[in-house]
Amino acid sequence: MAIQLLNGIVYGGLLYLLAVGLVLIFGLREVVNFAHGALFMLGSYIGFTLAAAGHWWLGLLVSVVAMAAVGCLLDVLVFRSLRKHDHIVTVLITFGLLLILETVVTVTWGKAYLSYPVPKLLDGTVTIAGSPFPIYRLFIIVVSLLVAGGLAAWLRYTRMGLYVRAASTNAHVTSIQGIDVDRLSLVVVGLGTALAGLSGVVAGPLLTLSPTMGNYILIDSFIVVVIGGLGSFAGAFFAALLIGQIHNLGAIYLPWAATMLPFLLMIGILIWRPTGFAGSRT
Amino acid sequence: MTALSQGDVPAASSPLLKTRGLLAMALAALLLGVAAPRLVSSQLMLSLATQAIFDALLATSVGFLVLQNGRVSFGQAAFFGLGGYAFGVLVARGLMAAELAVLTALALPTLVAFLLGLVFARIAGVAHAMLTLAVGQAFYEIAFRWRELAKGDDGMAFNLPPRIFGFDSSLLQDPSVMVVVAWTILVLALLGLALFANSRMGQIAAAVRDNAERARFIGHDTTIPPAIVYAISALLAAIAGLLQATYNGYIAPQMFHWSLSGSALIMAVVGGAQFILGPAIGAVCFFILKDFAGRFAEYWPAIVGSVLVIVTLVMPQGIVGLLKAGWFRMRRQA
Repeated sequence: MAIQLLNGIVYGGLLYLLAVGLVLIFGLREVVNFAHGALFMLGSYIGFTLAAAGHWWLGLLVSVVAMAAVGCLLDVLVFRSLRKHDHIVTVLITFGLLLILETVVTVTWGKAYLSYPVPKLLDGTVTIAGSPFPIYRLFIIVVSLLVAGGLAAWLRYTRMGLYVRAASTNAHVTSIQGIDVDRLSLVVVGLGTALAGLSGVVAGPLLTLSPTMGNYILIDSFIVVVIGGLGSFAGAFFAALLIGQIHNLGAIYLPWAATMLPFLLMIGILIWRPTGFAGSRT
Repeated sequence: MTALSQGDVPAASSPLLKTRGLLAMALAALLLGVAAPRLVSSQLMLSLATQAIFDALLATSVGFLVLQNGRVSFGQAAFFGLGGYAFGVLVARGLMAAELAVLTALALPTLVAFLLGLVFARIAGVAHAMLTLAVGQAFYEIAFRWRELAKGDDGMAFNLPPRIFGFDSSLLQDPSVMVVVAWTILVLALLGLALFANSRMGQIAAAVRDNAERARFIGHDTTIPPAIVYAISALLAAIAGLLQATYNGYIAPQMFHWSLSGSALIMAVVGGAQFILGPAIGAVCFFILKDFAGRFAEYWPAIVGSVLVIVTLVMPQGIVGLLKAGWFRMRRQA
């Protein structure tokens, strides 16, 4: 049972890494990045190429940096230039980017499933409550907790975090106060996509790589973001843990309904409270 | 919902004259459709055209939601699949007469969409896009996992009963017949939508789209009209799904998949979702483009994505919007 709960936390942690990126971007740009799953997937493939050549940790670093760069480009070229348009136009463009990125990966790496190696340092198992548990899964939990803690501290205790919280509440008023929201957004969107790259690499050894690997997890992280309340960091954290547990326990105890449970939960919550658990700022 | 759904308000010129013009156009289009199989001899061409018309119906259903409710759906394939599956499963199991199965396949998605619409209409913008995507995928998951229903992932072939509504049903799998049937349905559907948009219910739905609070203030009910729009739009998608399932004699979970919803949405936006004709024209353009891009089939999704990005950036009103603007400019100069 303890092992099952831990497995749920592993998936929840991955979902959190993706969902919090969506929340960060939504906070500043009021846009949901449909290409987030594709960036997750691209990050995973970039990391895989280096990991297959024996440079696992370098792959992690390169993937995170590359996705941060992609995010900055995305912010400048798409989000900034379209900020006066209807947000749904921007969403459509990120959907177009999703199709383009999937094709790029299919053409470059092929459609075949690839398996991502586990780094030597994290290979093996430990015994938890009498059962073996892969060290690598513990690593995923640690990474997501570190990101969650770091992000919370950054938002809570730094000046920039204060600006981000302000801009997420009301970007217009924040810019009137003399804060360059566009520059802030560059950092925040870059951070959000970098986290997509990070989760792509970290998830790699757990999942199999395929050009459509981002789609499932993207939909799950949408569910997390909606349940947590669009734009809420703490909401995303708890919703991710909840969906992680439901995903995992459901697969064991209610296999016929497992894939439906998150959807039903989302629909139920939206009917009960259209703004999600934590309430929405928009 | 400014950029996508805000069309020009139709001029209040004599409604009777307008309806007459619409009817004349529809009649001309119907005659053209009946003549098409006699003009085009290639069965392949007719078969491709049939598929393009199914796409056009689905794109029209997505576009209608944008036009009337100002809501962008990423899950319209749910109703397409539901229509196809309801018919396929009922017919394959011989649970009811084919005629009754057709009615069920149309009524079920319409009813489901009406009920969902009561909830969805309250949720706007980006959250709506995410919600519809998730609900659509939920349907896909059911069709994918529930092997006893229709063989899950493999999809299920089924045989049509010999006669439907008194006609030989094998005709429905002949492209030169199906193309006329589908075209006729598409033309009638577009005519019906145009009439609906000008009707009282359509005008109320448009008012709710533009400002729900004000519509409520002046005494209109603001939940039922948008839900009716959802139902109509789902009915169109279900018709498309039903036609495709009948034509192919085959159903598969891909009929529910979000990539289908997404491509229908892209066709609608590229064609011009703020016009009733736009989505269908978008679907036809994509059909022609796909024919040209045949050699680059591997890159097709990227081509679609690039077209979407370029169109939304350069001509947010879509192809029809561009044509309309060009037409007005020409008239002004003349």
